[in-house]
Formats: sequence, structure tokens, C-alpha cells
Amino acid sequence: MKEIDARGLACPAPVLQTKAALREESPGQVQVVVDNSAAQQNVQRFLESQGFETTLEQKGADFLVIGRCAAAPAERSRPAAAPETGSQKILILCATDRMGYGDDELGLKLMVNYLRTLKEMGPDLWRLIFVNNGVKLAIDGSEVLPDLQGYEQAGLKILVCGTCLNHFNLLARKQVGETTNMLDIVTAMQLADKVISL
Amino acid sequence: MGLDRADDAGVYKITDDLALIQTVDFFTPIVDDPYWFGRIAAANALSDVYAMGGIPKTAMNIVAFPAQTMDLAVLRQIIQGGLDALTEADAVLVGGHSIEDKELKYGLSITGVIHPARVLTKKHLQPGDRLILTKPLGSGIVNTAVKAEMAPAALVERVTRLMAALNRTAAEVMQRFKVHACTDITGFGLLGHLSEMVAGSGRGVRLFSTQIPIIAESVEYAAMGLIPAGAYKNREFRQAMITFEASVARVLQDIFFDPQTSGGLLISVAAGQAEEILSALKSEGLEDAALIGEVMEAPEEKILVK
Repeated sequence: MKEIDARGLACPAPVLQTKAALREESPGQVQVVVDNSAAQQNVQRFLESQGFETTLEQKGADFLVIGRCAAAPAERSRPAAAPETGSQKILILCATDRMGYGDDELGLKLMVNYLRTLKEMGPDLWRLIFVNNGVKLAIDGSEVLPDLQGYEQAGLKILVCGTCLNHFNLLARKQVGETTNMLDIVTAMQLADKVISL
Repeated sequence: MGLDRADDAGVYKITDDLALIQTVDFFTPIVDDPYWFGRIAAANALSDVYAMGGIPKTAMNIVAFPAQTMDLAVLRQIIQGGLDALTEADAVLVGGHSIEDKELKYGLSITGVIHPARVLTKKHLQPGDRLILTKPLGSGIVNTAVKAEMAPAALVERVTRLMAALNRTAAEVMQRFKVHACTDITGFGLLGHLSEMVAGSGRGVRLFSTQIPIIAESVEYAAMGLIPAGAYKNREFRQAMITFEASVARVLQDIFFDPQTSGGLLISVAAGQAEEILSALKSEGLEDAALIGEVMEAPEEKILVK
């Protein structure tokens, strides 16, 4: 477990320290000590935005934020468990809720079918990112919501564009994936071996 | 004006048709560029005069400068920025005072004029009034992301210009309408400053969260925990007055509490004139201006965010 002492630091320093620690080591569990409630809430949010489940303990005047990686253990154990597959990282950028142009009804059906069939990629499928109209696939009422939730539970990291959710006023309705930003998307694209854009 | 309730500036009546309006504000740098820091500091100081319906006339610089460690050229750029903002406001720099200090600080004292009968304060919300906000929220969160070196240059520039934009146009447009109360949004955030208007008014306010203009990127940064400590303090201080409906996402709540530097004006206008003032603001170039809520008879001195 990675331990970080961020006492005596003003925001955003505790978040930055936590971020740096995650980037260096990608630990499955992380523990951050802070001495004020703003830092505590910010660190908690940051860890949650990175797919950690957090708990909070009060220790005297200090706060102890403990994060356990919800998605990553599966993701991390994958290369060991299935070394013959998962040999490449495929990122799918989904900027629409329907596939192709022509008939919208057909496009919707195709998209549902596509997302369900995606599991055939196995562990090679590394990131699924929804932007623009694509975010509508990740909200309540979406036909593929159960499928996406299943992928997420199996360890796939799903990212949903926060700016887009806000634009469509759907922030409160997102039911799967992490709210993300352009920096994360660009970084993920750089790390991916293959990027598929829909 | 007495000190019994918080107001944006002091007002002193000289004759029956002339009052002085005075204010002072200074702070440590909020952007890296000295010139724009100067402009923003001046826009921020002028804003208090605009919020009360006044016309700024003269200004004095207030400077704390680490002359041992910092090049004087930096100070010249800061003052040039302040001067350019004053020129835009048709106000004159008449003097100032500087001291040596370890930490750089800059701001101004502004003196303006106003007709004593036309002073706008935070009091006098009227039931049925509509609330108009003239600048988008989220600059505090974006500035935190800047400190974290996570904000792209284009966004930094956009938000810098937003903070440096004077509230002059909004104040001038406001003069043509039946405005009952006004304040400018700064360190307490939208909900903190609105709470000041509501406290002691006997009225309630209903806000429409989806109508409130925000800097889109601030949503992402708030979700990552890049929220200034002040936003949490603002929430803690005023949460007893405010109810959020379940549909209002936590990140939006944070943005509504986000401390702003040189934020927009929050205008309480007679119901029948809301659309008209809004289109006047927009046609004068304030495209982000939006109708964000309304004043109610009840619940007394509470704010409901839906």
C-alpha cells in the first residue's frame, strides 16, 4: 500500500501528490493523510475519479483517506492471467450513439449490437471512451447500459466526457464509467496501441 | 450606508444629488502574467463601484513589492495593466502608495460618484424579481487547475480575459431597468453572495441550476478534486440556508460555491423586465448573461436550487 503524507499542504498540492504517486507506482491501495477537510474532500474526489473506492477515517485533527482500486486489480492481473491475449491496448472512441449514416433507426441497432459484440476483443479492449452524443449510451435508459456495466465490472475502464454530459444536462443521469476530461482522453490515446474512432 | 449589512462599497452623501462611493481591494497574483494580473486586479476593484450603480472617477494604486528579489519591470507591467483597465473605465489614476514586502500584492482604491437616490445595494429583493448573472462561474476551479498545471493555454487565456472584463457594460445596461438589488460575485461564490442578499430580506430564492452559466471545463476539474479550499468554506458557512434538489450534481454545487475573481454582476430585476434586460445585455456583448432564478415570498430567507 502506498502511503502519502500531505499534511501542511494547501489545495491543490495534496491532489497533485496523490496523482504523482499513482502515476509512478499504480498501487492497488493508497492511503493519504491530510490535515484539513478541503484537502480531504478533494483527495477523495480525485481517487474516486481514478476508479478507487474510498473510505475516510479521522485521526485526531488529521484525516486519513484510504482508496482501494475497484477496477484496476482485474485490469492489472490480466497480463499475468492471460498473457497470450491482452497483448495490445485497444482504445475505442465513441462520439455518437449510432453507427454510420443513412438510417438512424438502423444506426441505433447497429451500435447496440456493436457494443455487445465488443466483448469478443477480450482483454485487448483497454479503454472505451464516450464523447459528444456517445455519452447518451452511458446514461439511465440506454439499451446497452447493462452491457457496459458488465464490462466495467469485468475491469474495462470506461470514460465519459464531463463537458459533454454537462452540455446535454445529463451529469446526474450517468450510470456507468468515470467522468473524464480531454487531458485524460489525449493521454489514453497516446498510450494505446490502437485507436478506433466511431 | 451603515455597516450593519455587508455592502460592496462605502457611500457618502455630499449634496442631495451627489454621493461619493469608495472601495478598496487588493490581492496576491492570480495569474502568471503581470500585465493581466494588473488588469484583473483593477477590474475587480472597479466592480464594487459598478455593483452599486456608481460611475468610477479616480483611483489610487496599492502596491506591495519584493524589490530585492523581483525585477521592477514586473511592477511596471502590473501597473500598466491596471492603467489600461482604468482607461477602459474612463477613470483617472491620481496616485498610490507602495511598500516593500516579501510577497507581491496589488490592488486599487476606487472613488466614484452616484446619485444618492440611485444607490443599489444587496437589500430589497422583491417577490417575483428575476435574477440575472452576467459572467459564467468556475474561474476559481480553473485557477486551481492552472496551479496544478493541468489547464491548457487556450483555456487560461479565455479565463484570464473573462476575469479582466469590466462590469461596466452590465452596470450601464442595468441603469435602464427597474433593478431592485445588485452585487458582484467574488470570493464567496454565487451562493455565498446570493445568501448575503437573501439574509435579512424576508424573501426566498429559487435557482435553476441548468440555466446558470459556467465555464464548461470547470466540471471536469471539480470532478477531479481541483477545487479551491474557499469553495468548501463557502459551503460550510451558508449550507443551512441552501437546499439542493437531488438532481443537482455535486460538481455543480461546488461550482456554485466556487470563489470568483472579478466575477459578474448578480442583478435582481423586476419580473416584467427580465427578458428585456437579458437581450440588452446580450446585444451589448455579454453573451454569457443568463436568467438564473427568481425571488419568492417563501421559504423565508432560504435558497432552493433545482
